Amino acid sequence: MTDLMNSKKPQWWKSPDVKKTAILWVICTAIVGYVGTEFHVRSIVEPASETMTGVIDLMRIFTWAASPVAGLVFAICLTVLTSKRHYGDNPPAEADHQISNSPRANAVWIVVSALLCLFALITGLIVLQKDSEAVLESTAIQMNVTGSQWVWSFDYPNGARSEDLYLPVDKPVVFHITSVDVKHSFWIVQMGIKMDANPGAITEAAVTPNKIGVFDIRCAELCGLLHAYMQTKVHVVSQNDYDKWVAEHAALEGRA
Amino acid sequence: MTTLMSKPVSAPGKSVIERLNIVTAVVLGAVSAFVVWRLALQFLPADTEVRLFTREDKITLLSMVAWFVGFMTGIGALVGPFRWVMGKDLSHDENMFLAGKDMGVNRYFRYTTDHKVVGIQYLVITMVIFGIGGILAMLIRTNLGTPEGGWIHPQAYNSIVGTHGIIMIVGTIIMVTGPFGNFIMPIMIGARDMAFPRLNALSFWLIVAAAIPLIWAQFIGGISTGWSAYNPLAGQAPLGMNGYIMFICIFAISTMVAGANITTTIVRMRANGMTWNRTPIFIYGTMASVALALPAFPVFFLSQVMSAMDRALDTSFYNTAGGGSGWLYENLFWIMGHPEVYVILIPAVAALMEMAPVFTRRPLFSFNVAVMGIAGISGLSVLVWAHHMYISGWAPLLNAPFMLTTELISIPTGMLFLVLVGTLWRGRLWMTMPTMSIFALLWNFMIGGITGIYLSDVPADAFLHGSMYVTAHFHYTLMGAGLTGALAALVYWFPKMTGRMFDKKLSWISFWLVQIGFNVAFVGMFTVGLAGQPRRVESYASTFNTGNLITTIGAYTIMVGMLVLLHGVISSWRSGDKAPMNPWQAKTLEWTVPNPIPLENFDVLPTVTSDAYGYGKAKS
Repeated sequence: MTDLMNSKKPQWWKSPDVKKTAILWVICTAIVGYVGTEFHVRSIVEPASETMTGVIDLMRIFTWAASPVAGLVFAICLTVLTSKRHYGDNPPAEADHQISNSPRANAVWIVVSALLCLFALITGLIVLQKDSEAVLESTAIQMNVTGSQWVWSFDYPNGARSEDLYLPVDKPVVFHITSVDVKHSFWIVQMGIKMDANPGAITEAAVTPNKIGVFDIRCAELCGLLHAYMQTKVHVVSQNDYDKWVAEHAALEGRA
Repeated sequence: MTTLMSKPVSAPGKSVIERLNIVTAVVLGAVSAFVVWRLALQFLPADTEVRLFTREDKITLLSMVAWFVGFMTGIGALVGPFRWVMGKDLSHDENMFLAGKDMGVNRYFRYTTDHKVVGIQYLVITMVIFGIGGILAMLIRTNLGTPEGGWIHPQAYNSIVGTHGIIMIVGTIIMVTGPFGNFIMPIMIGARDMAFPRLNALSFWLIVAAAIPLIWAQFIGGISTGWSAYNPLAGQAPLGMNGYIMFICIFAISTMVAGANITTTIVRMRANGMTWNRTPIFIYGTMASVALALPAFPVFFLSQVMSAMDRALDTSFYNTAGGGSGWLYENLFWIMGHPEVYVILIPAVAALMEMAPVFTRRPLFSFNVAVMGIAGISGLSVLVWAHHMYISGWAPLLNAPFMLTTELISIPTGMLFLVLVGTLWRGRLWMTMPTMSIFALLWNFMIGGITGIYLSDVPADAFLHGSMYVTAHFHYTLMGAGLTGALAALVYWFPKMTGRMFDKKLSWISFWLVQIGFNVAFVGMFTVGLAGQPRRVESYASTFNTGNLITTIGAYTIMVGMLVLLHGVISSWRSGDKAPMNPWQAKTLEWTVPNPIPLENFDVLPTVTSDAYGYGKAKS
């Protein structure tokens, strides 16, 4: 960008506004990167799975990767805004140049944005690949999830049923998700997974909870009157507690 | 109609053309709707099986179609075609009458073909739409001000969200290409009018005709599905859904008609010497926008026709039980839905690119890159629709390719940034509200763009999709970037459109209120999205209190800013300073015509010998 002025002129970088922009660029990049990542990391939920940690890392990486571009744009804006401004009803004098293009600036800008785009793509693809493979995990607990207006219900492999979900910690789970009426979206907030529940089709999502605790499940697709209230909890417990719980509940179902 | 029409037009007294106006249109529309409603009620057979709404759906849809046909007939849309079929094409005097010659204020309430009248009509209806949509937004934000909100019933709340969504989408689609694309564009390219003046009037009055079913819908159950009206939810929604369907169908026709008209005008009617290299960038933006709508809106139209058939005629396009698929609807909807956001964005950014050289007194930086950016966005935008469906489970294998196309869009979008900052660099900054809007756009669009990169990423989207984060993101692009550009365009072209200057002080006050309020509101919304609040909920967990309260405060600030702007529009229009012919000393053609602009704009059509950006002192 800095060679917007006549690039044949020697030592264009010594001009005061270029220097000012360069300094502002560094400052703006640091601020955008820092504030951007902090904003996201502090607002976002506490992760309860590897997947969610991955999402937060992605945001951190993307924010820092984007910050030099945003920093440059803001730096140029600041330089322009802090240089001489004209107020009044009539236009100021014409600018003292007629530069209407700079092939070098264009080329640099386009190449850099293409590289950043490629970087974002590759980073995303690596994580996506990992997430897609998780669905195929054969040792995972196979859980059936059914959305209906406006409750979630869960069918465990051993025949137990419940409306709030119990999962053992550190054990992969594959959810087979469907709906009996309209479209819902199954979202375990702190685990960073979400998958639509479609009537007449089964969709899959996988996650490995890595923290004991109680987390939120919400519906993320408008599904009618009580959409806002279509939420439940997931209890992540130790393997022993889980085994005990499903055994009890399977027995309950059997009696019914 | 035909018997009236066959009266000789030269006869004393008023001819049909002179009689028709908005009153006859509303009366004829209402009467037809009522008659058809009575007839349908009387003669439509009862449903053989017990189904929710089917017969009522047929009756509602038929009455709405009758309203539409009656209104369009009453406004005079059929006069031209009828006369042509009868071999008595309109005479010169009649055409001049249609163009609103010497008619004063009346011409704004008729089927007037003059592009300047249509432009003003569009401007007013856009403001009305934003007014209604804004009131709905304030209702939403007030309800969400407290966690258990709940003074609005959930059904009504869902309907408010849906109506706010669709009405604002329509408002933003027409906010630049409607008022400025119709009023300014033909003058800017040195034409006397649009290529098809009657189609121009048609496209405007179709929007008015479309508005009634949407209002009607509010009284028969509302639009409780969000603006996307996903099936099968839309299938079980109350009768109000038919109002949405009719609204979309009529609006889609309007957009297609306007798209064909504006595209033809730009391609065929540019002044002598206005080669593509000398065509102002705003013209490119307008053309890209309406040309994108040409493939997008027929799909939208079709998707709603199928939705109506599912409701009223028991077909199963989207009904899983009958072999249909909700995914089909999602695909059709987003094949329209993604190009549509660029339909909104491109002309707004292009308008600011048009103003940037004027307010920095230097040439536009890299005209070719600007054109390439607009073309690149337009081309890519039809290839990215399924990024709205990453987590629909429709086709997991397609996530990676759609992630690729989506992230590629950042390259042409970056070009638009380059052009804007390149133009600002070493310019002589003339501080006006449009000038500051360029900076505001760069700021808002940067935030909207970077958050868009997170959303384009499939794993991150698995967390963010359907949350308030998405809502904040698209408000940053459509409102923070789009509306900012449109408001700047309003202040910039106000002198040409109304003959008066926009009150400077009011434009500044409203600018700061809107921009600060906007950033407060939607940064607050980002935080609750990250904390896990889903979209379109009418109550939320108490953890989201603070963020929602901040958003509500920001929203009220925006409202105050918009009211100041409205006051500015009304007071400046009535009693602002008389505008000189070229208040900004700009070099595009619209500033070469006097105020008020003569009926056919130019006495002698201009010849263009250079581009419109020859500012700056040449180095000696």
